[in-house]
Order: sequence, then structure tokens, then C-alpha cells
Amino acid sequence: MSLEIEHLLPRVEKPARYVGSEYNSIVKDWDKVKVKVAFAFPDVYEVGMSHLGLQILYHVVNQRDDALMERVFAPWPDMERELTTSGLPLFSLESRRPISDFDVVAFTLQYELSYTNILNMLYLGGIPLYARDRGDGDPLVIAGGPCAYNPEPLAPFIDAVFLGEGEEAIHEIVEVVSKRRAGMGRRSLLRELSHIDGIYIPSFYDVQYDALGYIKSIVPVEEGIPEKVTKRIISDLDHAPFPARPIVPYLGVVHDRAMLEVFRGCTRGCRFCQAGAVYRPVREKHLETLLQQAEDILKNTGYNELSLASLSTTDYSGVRKLITKLVKRYSDQNVSISLPSLRVDAFAVDLAQAVQKVRKSTLTFAPEAGTQRLRNVINKQVTEEDLLQTAYVAFSAGWLRIKLYFMIGLPTETFEDLEGIADLARKVLQKGKEAGVPKGRLSVTISTSSFVPKAHTPFQWEPQDPIEVLREKQAQLKRLIKGKGLVFNYHDPEASFLEAVFARGDRRLAPVLYRAWELGCRLDGWRECFRYDLWERAFRDTGVNPAFYAQRRFTLDDVLPWDHLDAGLSKKFLWLERKRALAGQITEDCRYGKCTGCGLCPALEIEPYLQEARGDATH
Amino acid sequence: MPRIRVAYRQNGAARFVSHLDVMRAFERAMRRAGLKLSYTQGFNPRPKLTFAAPLPVGMVGLREYVDIVLDEAASPFLVMSRLGRVMPKGLSVLNAREVPDESPNLMAVVHHARYLAKGFTNKKPDLAVIQESLQAFLARREIYVERQTSKGVKRKDIRPGIRSINAAAEDRELRIGMELKAGQEGNVRPYEVLTALQHLGPVQPDRFVIIRTALLSSNGRLVWEI
Repeated sequence: MSLEIEHLLPRVEKPARYVGSEYNSIVKDWDKVKVKVAFAFPDVYEVGMSHLGLQILYHVVNQRDDALMERVFAPWPDMERELTTSGLPLFSLESRRPISDFDVVAFTLQYELSYTNILNMLYLGGIPLYARDRGDGDPLVIAGGPCAYNPEPLAPFIDAVFLGEGEEAIHEIVEVVSKRRAGMGRRSLLRELSHIDGIYIPSFYDVQYDALGYIKSIVPVEEGIPEKVTKRIISDLDHAPFPARPIVPYLGVVHDRAMLEVFRGCTRGCRFCQAGAVYRPVREKHLETLLQQAEDILKNTGYNELSLASLSTTDYSGVRKLITKLVKRYSDQNVSISLPSLRVDAFAVDLAQAVQKVRKSTLTFAPEAGTQRLRNVINKQVTEEDLLQTAYVAFSAGWLRIKLYFMIGLPTETFEDLEGIADLARKVLQKGKEAGVPKGRLSVTISTSSFVPKAHTPFQWEPQDPIEVLREKQAQLKRLIKGKGLVFNYHDPEASFLEAVFARGDRRLAPVLYRAWELGCRLDGWRECFRYDLWERAFRDTGVNPAFYAQRRFTLDDVLPWDHLDAGLSKKFLWLERKRALAGQITEDCRYGKCTGCGLCPALEIEPYLQEARGDATH
Repeated sequence: MPRIRVAYRQNGAARFVSHLDVMRAFERAMRRAGLKLSYTQGFNPRPKLTFAAPLPVGMVGLREYVDIVLDEAASPFLVMSRLGRVMPKGLSVLNAREVPDESPNLMAVVHHARYLAKGFTNKKPDLAVIQESLQAFLARREIYVERQTSKGVKRKDIRPGIRSINAAAEDRELRIGMELKAGQEGNVRPYEVLTALQHLGPVQPDRFVIIRTALLSSNGRLVWEI
């Protein structure tokens, strides 16, 4: 039955978060559909609705006659309060049913600080938090997304985890759930699911620890369960399902525009970057496909902005042609084209100029580290000369502000590297003056995040700086980056610390998560909601030392919590990359040079696909 | 270029959509309809959409109006039929007509509005008692309410803006009809009236569903006709 929730809505800040009925949303006849899936995004509506993966899977599942997908997001505290006091459960947007009415509740794991929201959503939805407490009538709780590559802290809460790109596998999951016979127990259902490539059932694995608390082994405890689960990928992106009719939110969401995925994967090989590791290989769409999809998506949504999405759009081999054609086709319709991230070179500025005819505001680049030495360590192949020249070109072309992203706390970082950041900031500002940007309007923003070691990257073994060190580094930068036109931003080191704990965490963190949730931790990614004091208490109460996960250097001999999960890159390659990093050696992008031997293509029987040969790409 | 007045209804889930979001929804719907909306000149072009009166979040609007300036010739019928096909659920196009260039700004025309507030009570409301207290309420010379503004809480006398109030009941449903000053000056919000009337009875103001049934000009004609 649909729930009567309308009387709660006038009492919450943004009721449109909970009502659905947006253009292109799909409400199916509940009783005529066999398999019901709830896509659960563990953050608020505005964040979740900016996620392309949601739109893709919503489209894929709702295309089936025998299945439906509805959405549910984390409620803001005001709505949580209303639900709790009225005794109503968390409900789906489309048919306003309790999420416990669904066959499958599918969470996406986008960032570690959303984990308490998962517990909270299960709780508010009336679903037992621990997988072992769920009965045959409870939904199957599954999870995917980038953090699924180390889901261990969530292991006891999730029935099944999916590794990789879900466009095809979601059909297989729906089939298994659909064929579930009456009386088929949860365990046999999980066994059936485990036969799907990319599905990992945490409860089918046993983790043993040694006397010192290190992991001794992670082994399957059921017969016929693989020792290692390998990620799934889509080989042909041109023919992959494309949501030509994405939901158009009423509310202003974070990315309030049409999103066109240009390609998937990135092989630039930045050694801290998990996305670059887990989304390999590079698979580009054909130019013709993109033009057609752009046309469809704009026609079906009415957006006035089209964002060319990918991990690094200026790397698309046909980017110049694509942009030229899109600008030509849509500029007289008041549709603007946007590039989410720019490579540090004049070519990128040139492209940005082509798409941004009016209103020149800020241009953003990510040199990531302040000195050439450290940039070599992280394999960010940007030189100071590149950056300064790019800045000069950008300022000359009319941009007034440049924003630079850096990471602090990277392996081997010294004081010189921090000085290097401040130095670059000053030099970029100087370029603005040379280019004649009016003094009052010229500004250079330095935005720093703190390094978080992530699973499946060459830096997965590296420790994170202690909170006090990160704070001291921020203070130093604050002293160094001073002067008219310079702005310095940074993140809470406490949040980065927690991120690192969970990014490299194992199953022993589950009780911490539970305790933190119990104490009231919610929406930890939101500054106004983040309660580090409660987290500290949760670690104390459960006797878990968070520094063991975040600040310890793992060794090659360590069994990593995610060693049984395979993102395609061999551990040998990652270790080699780590060695090269410490030696300051760079590794070329396999798109333009020779194969780096990461191990992915042979393991997944795939090859990178570029739309045009290199050489055409930049000029 | 033609200025088309569109009458629309905003109900269902769409009543929880804010005015700003409704504006954006119209802009996007125009694109989907393949109709060329006119934009202001300058660095930050804005669509030429003028709404009669913002509808407060949570309220149903039975007949709301927006004036749309197009960049191409288009008949009201074409606008109505094309737009009608691409509106989100809960925002429905009812009618369209062309408005002469020289007609006044739609917002400036709005003078007062009619509302119907409906709420369910636990037992059948006693209409005689309610009528009596309504008379007493309307007999007051001034009725002060507190209004939250950007500069803090302000006290405001809403009595001059109350044109009439009546009550009706059917089974357990209590209905309060109101005609209140609307538009750019002296606007009275129906919720404020309900709050001031709280002693009336068994329904809490926030349990009422408020419906705006008509937007009227100073001579009592529908804004649509002006």
C-alpha cells in the first residue's frame, strides 16, 4: 500500500526532495510487475539525482516489463524526525511504499562518509541492519559503486556486493530474483546470485586474523565459491544502454544539467586515483553516437546545458570535432556546453574558450602537487611551465579567476612541496597581472584536499598523515598563501581521516559503524551534520584503533582486506608502480605509449578503445 | 513577438514544488515543446516568463497564470497543445490566449485571490459555533500576526487585507473559503488567517490543504481576462 505522507511534507525544509513525479520519472503498476528494485542513494536527493549511474540503472530496469525500479534517498534530519515521530517508514519516491516492500534494495557506494546513511536508511525502512538477521520476507540488500572495491566495513550489513559496471549484470540479478521460488530460502538465493560474474557474497567468506590483529586469510567457506571475485565491465560503450530520457528534477540539484558520458576509464595513471584504477580500460564512444545522444537527451529533458562527462573529457580523442559540432548545433538555442574538468594545457583552454562564449568566470585545473619531484611521484604529468603557460593563455582569453586543486599529505611530501604550492599560486597570479586582468577582479584560489590511500591503487599501502600533521600543513599553507588575489581553501582533516579508515578498513569496522550510527552519526559528508566527537566515542566504545587502518604503512606481505576482490590491476603491477613512485619515475599513459602491463586487458579479455588514433587528439 | 498567457493547474506532488522550481520547469518544458522562448539580452540571459503570483510551497493552484514571450510566431493553440504534452505530472496546461503588447504586467494586475482550505476533523464540526466565531473574528478592527522576514519577525495587521471568510462543513470535512488581498502590496497569506483562526476548532492549520481557486484583478475579474 502507498503511504499517506503528505501531511509530513509542509513541516520539512525541502518537501520536493520526497515527492517524486518529476518529468521522465516512471511509476509502474505495482501489482503487474514481478521484481521490484529500490535504488537507494545514501545521500540527499540533490546529490543522488546528480549521479549518472542512477539514471542508467533506472532506465535499464524500467525498460523491462517484468521489473520496476524506484528511488529512495537519505532523508535530511528534519524528515527523519517527521518519520520517526509519525511512525512512518522510509518510502520510495515513485509509489510511496516502504522500502521493505521491495524485493531488492540496491545501494550505491560513492564515498565512505555515506556509510552511516546506509544503516540509517535500512533502519528507517524497517529492514534488519545485519544481513544475518534478515528473513525470507526481507528485501535482498545489495551494493555497488566505486567503494564496493573494498566493501569490507559494510560486509555484515550487505547481502551481495557487485563489482564493476552494472548495466548487464542488473538483468542477471533481476532474473535470479524473478525465478526465486516460493520457499526458496535466503541462502539458496545468495548461492544463485554468487554464480553471476562480479557478484561477491561477503557472508560466504571467512576472514582469519593473527594474534597481532593482522589479517591471516580470507577464504570462501562455501563450496563452489570463487577465491577471487573479478569486476564486470561493458565492452562496447556505443551499444551500452543510454538513458535518453533521464529524470529531470524540479529541485536544483548539484549537477543540474544534461549529462553525456563521453567515455569511460582513464589511464593517465595518477597513483593516488582510485577512479583511474577501477574504471579501466578507456572505452570511447563514437562521435556519431555522442551527437545522436546529445540530441536525444536535450530534446527529452529541455536542459539548457550539456555536460560532457568522463574522468578527463579533454582526453577524448575526438574532442575538438565533438565540441565544434555541438557548439555549432546548439549555440543559437541558448544551450551551453560544459567541460567538468580541464587538463593543464593550452589546448584545454582553447576548448574551454570554444564552449564558453559568454560569462567567463572560473577555470579549474588540478596540478595536485607543488613540485616537479612530487608530481613525478604521483605520476601527474604536468610541468610548471605547462601550468604557467596555460594560466597565461586563460587569463589572456578573458578568464578572471583560476582555481587550482592540490593534495596534501601525499607520500614523500616535504616542506618544499608545500612551499611549491604557494609558489605556484603566486606565479599563476603573476601571469594574471601580466595578461592584464584588472587587479580588483583577478583571483587565484588554492583548494587542497588531504591524501586518502585507496584500495587497488599503487598508494594502497601508504599511510595517511596523522590529523595533527595535516592540520599543521594546512596552517603552514595558510601562512604561505597570503596576499591580494589569493584564496586558500581546505577540508576538515577529521573527515579525510575517517575516509581513510573506511577506505582501507576491514570487517572489524562494522561494529564501529553500527555504534556511530547508534550515537547519531548521519550525513557525515555534510559539515553541518558531521560529529567527529561521536565517531571518537564509537571507536572508544568498540575498542577499535582507527589509526591501525588509516596511518599504518601496509607491507607487501600483508593480506589486504580487499585481496579477494579484483579490479583488474595486478597486485604486482601496483607494487611496481609504488616502487617507481618512490624512485620518482613516471609511467606513460598506455593510450599514447606502450602497454604498462597493469594486467587488466588480459585478465578481462578486453582492449582499450579509442575513437581516433592519437595525434589527431590534441591538434 | 507574441505574448501568450497560459493558464495552468498545479496540484498533486507538484504542489510541493517551489516557485523558483516551477519557473525552471516551464523553461525546460518550452524547450521540450520545441517552442522558442524569448530571453533577455545581456551576460546572463533570463527567459521572458512572468508569473501572476508565486504559489506558496504546499498550496494547490487551480488556475495559475504565466505570460510567455516567444521569439517566433505561434498561435495560442499551438503553445497549449505542444506545451501540454511535455509538462511534468501535476503541472497541467488548461488554456492559452494571446495578450496584446500594451497590456499591463501580469504581476501588477493581481489584486486579490480566493482560497479554499480543507481539513478533516475527528468529529463532525459544529457549523453554528464556527459561524459565530467567524463573525466575531471579522468584527475585529485589527488582527495582528507575526511574519518572518529577512530582517527578523515583523508584526503585521492583516485585517485590512481580509475581504471575506466563510465556512462550510460536510461530514468530518471543514472547509474555509477566503478572499484575501494578494499581489505586490498588502498581501495576506491564507495560512496566517488559519493560524489566527486557530481557536475555531479541531483542525490544526498545518493539517489543512489550501487551494488557491482564483486570482482576481481590482475590479473583480479573473486575471486571465485582463
